[in-house]
Amino acid sequence: MLEQLVKEIRAGGTLETRVLATHLSTSPRLVQAMLEHLQRAGVIRSYVNCGEGCQGCGLSEACNTQRHSTVPLWQSEPLD
Amino acid sequence: MNDCHTTTVATRPFFIRQNMPLIALAGQPNVGKSTLFNLLTGLNQHVGNWPGKTVERRDGTCSVDGHQYGVVDLPGTYSLTANSPEEIIAREFVLREEPDVVVAVVNAANLERSLYLVAELIALPSPLVVALNMMDVATQEGIHVEPEVLQAALGVPVVPMTATRSTGARELICVVQETLDAHSAGAPHLPEIRADHRQVLAEIAQHIAGHVPQPYPAAWVALKLLEGDVEITRTMKTALSPDKWEAAHAVLRQHDDALLAIASGRYEWIGRMVRAAVVQPKIGQVSLTKQLDEWAAHPFWGLVILAGILGLVFWLTFTVGSPVQNWLATRIVGGLSNLAGQLLENTTFWLKGLIVNGVLGGAGAVITFVPIMVIFFAAFGLLEDLGYMARAAYVMDNLMHLMGLHGKSFLPLFLGFGCNVPAIMGTRVIDSKQSRLLTTLIAPLVPCTARMAVVAFLAPAFFGPRALIVSWGLVLFSLMILVLSGSVLNKVIFKGQRSAFIMEMPLYHLPNTRTIGVLVWQRSLSFLKKAGTNILAMSVVIWALSVLPGGDLNHSYLVQFGKFIEPVGRWMGFDWRLTVALITSFPAKENAIATLGVIFGNSPNAGLVQTLTSTFSTATGLSFLVTTMLFIPCMATVAVIRQETNSWGWTLLNIALFLVISITAGAGVYHLALAIGL
Repeated sequence: MLEQLVKEIRAGGTLETRVLATHLSTSPRLVQAMLEHLQRAGVIRSYVNCGEGCQGCGLSEACNTQRHSTVPLWQSEPLD
Repeated sequence: MNDCHTTTVATRPFFIRQNMPLIALAGQPNVGKSTLFNLLTGLNQHVGNWPGKTVERRDGTCSVDGHQYGVVDLPGTYSLTANSPEEIIAREFVLREEPDVVVAVVNAANLERSLYLVAELIALPSPLVVALNMMDVATQEGIHVEPEVLQAALGVPVVPMTATRSTGARELICVVQETLDAHSAGAPHLPEIRADHRQVLAEIAQHIAGHVPQPYPAAWVALKLLEGDVEITRTMKTALSPDKWEAAHAVLRQHDDALLAIASGRYEWIGRMVRAAVVQPKIGQVSLTKQLDEWAAHPFWGLVILAGILGLVFWLTFTVGSPVQNWLATRIVGGLSNLAGQLLENTTFWLKGLIVNGVLGGAGAVITFVPIMVIFFAAFGLLEDLGYMARAAYVMDNLMHLMGLHGKSFLPLFLGFGCNVPAIMGTRVIDSKQSRLLTTLIAPLVPCTARMAVVAFLAPAFFGPRALIVSWGLVLFSLMILVLSGSVLNKVIFKGQRSAFIMEMPLYHLPNTRTIGVLVWQRSLSFLKKAGTNILAMSVVIWALSVLPGGDLNHSYLVQFGKFIEPVGRWMGFDWRLTVALITSFPAKENAIATLGVIFGNSPNAGLVQTLTSTFSTATGLSFLVTTMLFIPCMATVAVIRQETNSWGWTLLNIALFLVISITAGAGVYHLALAIGL
């Protein structure tokens, strides 16, 4: 399952956890757990917010991890 | 839990081992492990450091029904791989000290995350009991966990509890005692790895057989070698003879993908456990989100819906916002201008001009934007709170991929709808310098709120009832130019680089009116602050240039400058006034309106909108709107481009690119509009 997720990530593009869960025949929560695992393993990294770049941005709240409209983001690390 | 307290002072584990059964509490961070430890041991605990480490060590004692137990709080760990000092300490303790029972504390509200450590602990020799903690949180989130079913699926005892409410701890210790009495680790159901890797695992086990140092179990060591565990690899390299090590290492080298295969097996095991024991939350909300996303996140229909929503926002703006804006312009700002003109009749010409034409004509015109901005802010706030904005960005990115654009430009695009400044900052997420520069170049093509507000203000002036369709078309046109520019640049420089961007879209939910209200208030206040400072200053400068040196507009510096650059404006059908308005939008996009306000002045009978309607043709209006949408980014954005690229060359190239795009598009649209008789 994790191997399949890594394959999807390495294929590139923009992926969404619910769509990934459908592809892997599992739940979005398990996909999130696996993404966190891959983050700890250094395969992907997450973005909590955009730092000072958010100042003045109308959508900055979307990156605030404390709110229900949080949009967690991860990005794959470049392959060696 | 008072029953759990003894009168003895806490001692080191080796001492506890001599007198009473030892319980090790293991778990991931933030699952309530320390709360449980405190509940069990009360004041009978000792805090220090693990030998040779700066990691905190806590141990203590507790007693229940006359039985005494030593309790050790292991460091919080996600797994038993040697990724961190905490993980090494936890696994070395479990393997070397051989606690009589290991209690794995898991979060009932997120078993998917918590069970990975259980998947590792369950394979070790010490008997395992699972403390299903945070049951209250699970209930609050609508997650129903069935402990009996989980127990049957895991093959080890499971005890539901809520440590923060002191419930379940006594039952946990009772189950620990039953496990101790049984003198058995039970019949746990272990995770499996893929068949081809099982063969490899057996091969490695064969190579290391008879050489595994105590107290490590041989099967566990073979698995950790296959996982590429650094510590175990080092240990076995020392323990094996060079020939044996070379043979084992040769097998490992051929299967360096085994780490994923093993972890994958564990996640499949977790999936089975969760499917068996957990009823997922808020089925209605999840299935509603799923159903809505079949359309909203669809590669084609998602774009149609996005276009429809944008159209709806503009319709609201023109139906509700524009009449209020017109009223403010004619009755309030126009009325104030009239009143100020009368009051200042006998003062100096410059004071009257400054107040009536500079302040009220310029900044006053921009303040009439407020109803339009409020509608924009409320609409985007509503969509954001509803959970739709993430879908908008997702479907846009799908389109960009179809056009060959790089996926990493997603985040800048997402931010750009609000403001181009954070959009440029957002390009920091891109690793490759070339990709970052290219995304920086095209990100300002996403129409920001300020540009959309200018369009919302001017479109009714030039197009009357057709303003809605024109505004909608302008936004789509702008995005189309972005896609085309990006496609060309991507083919030239990205050269097929691929990486992934993974996002988690929030569930749809009913918007919170207070949240939206606060958001609209804060953003409107911020807009008014901008109108009262930067835009006001620019209005005064424009007014000063319009009256200097002799007090006559026709011979002013502004007109001289406008006439000088007018030939370029003519390509797009502009006279000197529109050309100057366009150029003054560089400091802030809203200045285009302020400048037109200063140049045309205010009248109590006709606001700026009406004046523009009677002055310019439809073709000129359309060309002006297109050019404004695509014109060079505002000064703040350009400053950020300079900061992020650290190059004047790239900054000037960006300005040049937008000048070429906007002038070409404006001129093209103008001549096309004339050709079709507009």
